[in-house]
Amino acid sequence: MHELGIMFHIVDQVLRVVEDNELSEVEAIVLQVGELSSVVPRYLHACFPAATSGTMLESTKLEVEVLTANGICQNCNKVFAVIEYDRVCPQCYSEDIEIISGSEFYLKEIRAC
Amino acid sequence: MREFRVLEIKESIFEDNNKDAQELREQLKSENTFLLNLMSSPGAGKTTTLVKTIESLKERLSIAVMEADIDSDVDARTISETGVKVIQLHTGGMCHLDADMTRQGLKGLDAKGTDLVILENVGNLVCPAEFDTGATKNAMILSVPEGDDKPLKYPLMFKVSDVLLINKIDVMEYFDFDLDLCIERVKKLNPNIKIFPISAKTGEGIKEWTDWLYNEVKGE
Ligand SMILES: Nc1nc2c(ncn2[C@@H]2O[C@H](COP(=O)(O)OP(=O)(O)OP(=O)(O)O)[C@@H](O)[C@H]2O)c(=O)[nH]1
Ligand SMILES: [Mg+2]
Ligand SMILES: [Zn+2]
Repeated sequence: MHELGIMFHIVDQVLRVVEDNELSEVEAIVLQVGELSSVVPRYLHACFPAATSGTMLESTKLEVEVLTANGICQNCNKVFAVIEYDRVCPQCYSEDIEIISGSEFYLKEIRAC
Repeated sequence: MREFRVLEIKESIFEDNNKDAQELREQLKSENTFLLNLMSSPGAGKTTTLVKTIESLKERLSIAVMEADIDSDVDARTISETGVKVIQLHTGGMCHLDADMTRQGLKGLDAKGTDLVILENVGNLVCPAEFDTGATKNAMILSVPEGDDKPLKYPLMFKVSDVLLINKIDVMEYFDFDLDLCIERVKKLNPNIKIFPISAKTGEGIKEWTDWLYNEVKGE
């Protein structure tokens, strides 16, 4: 499990935004995680309290948006959700697929004042 | 009720570290030090390969090593027997090294003027792939007992590596490891990757690998 280490990075990144913008309170942190990225949203939530402990983010909410992984069929060019269709083209049943999205991992926004 | 506003950030989680790593890479380049980041699963043979690599190159290059075990200095002691400078990094239980920790390690090592610094990263195929250490080149070791389907399970590690050592080929006959299939899978993920089948135990393939590394360090 590597989510805790990553969570510490995210907390640092948010605290920097807090400082740059002279914010006094952060209500929520919103992350975007691709379906094929190596982080598990459930684990991110699980280690959030540990990573924010002792910081001004202790009562901040964590929101994680999951981004669909899309692939393009190399045979018929159909774009489809690779996880939903289990990596098989729903149009021609080819398994020759190029992944075009799904490994994203972003700090999307924070809600603060 | 307080008024909260939305601050759009849209920054990759790895952005800060990526910038930091890029700076470190440029700094090392200007100091003529080549940093090799060595990654693998636990027990794939990083330390054994390192010893063989050092033995093969230490007459031609000045070498130093950074060991990043989570909680012991066993590997650091093994390496120090080769006579090169070695430092044990404390990752504080973290599963990877980032550029900042790498920079601190280099400082602690007093690596200025060293031709080649090798970083033995934490044994793990996930996290080290996501945190750029600032290394000049990334090397990965996959050992035969782990299976030829590792590229399918851990694609990112194969994508970020510049060179792959397929280690423990001396025990190939005891495992259903298909070398050609494995290479094909890896090349599909990363067409430019260099691949060397080696045995850190018997020394097979070590010369090809260290010749390549020597040329990379010397920039030929
Ligand atoms: N048969 C065989 N055994 C090997 C080879 N290379 C390493 N080993 C053995 O594999 C085991 C692990 O090797 P290490 O070099 O300690 O592996 P490592 O990747 O440094 O391990 P960690 O630092 O614990 O992650 C040891 O018992 C080595 O003797 C090889 O080429 N062939
Ligand atoms: Mg080791
Ligand atoms: Zn198709």
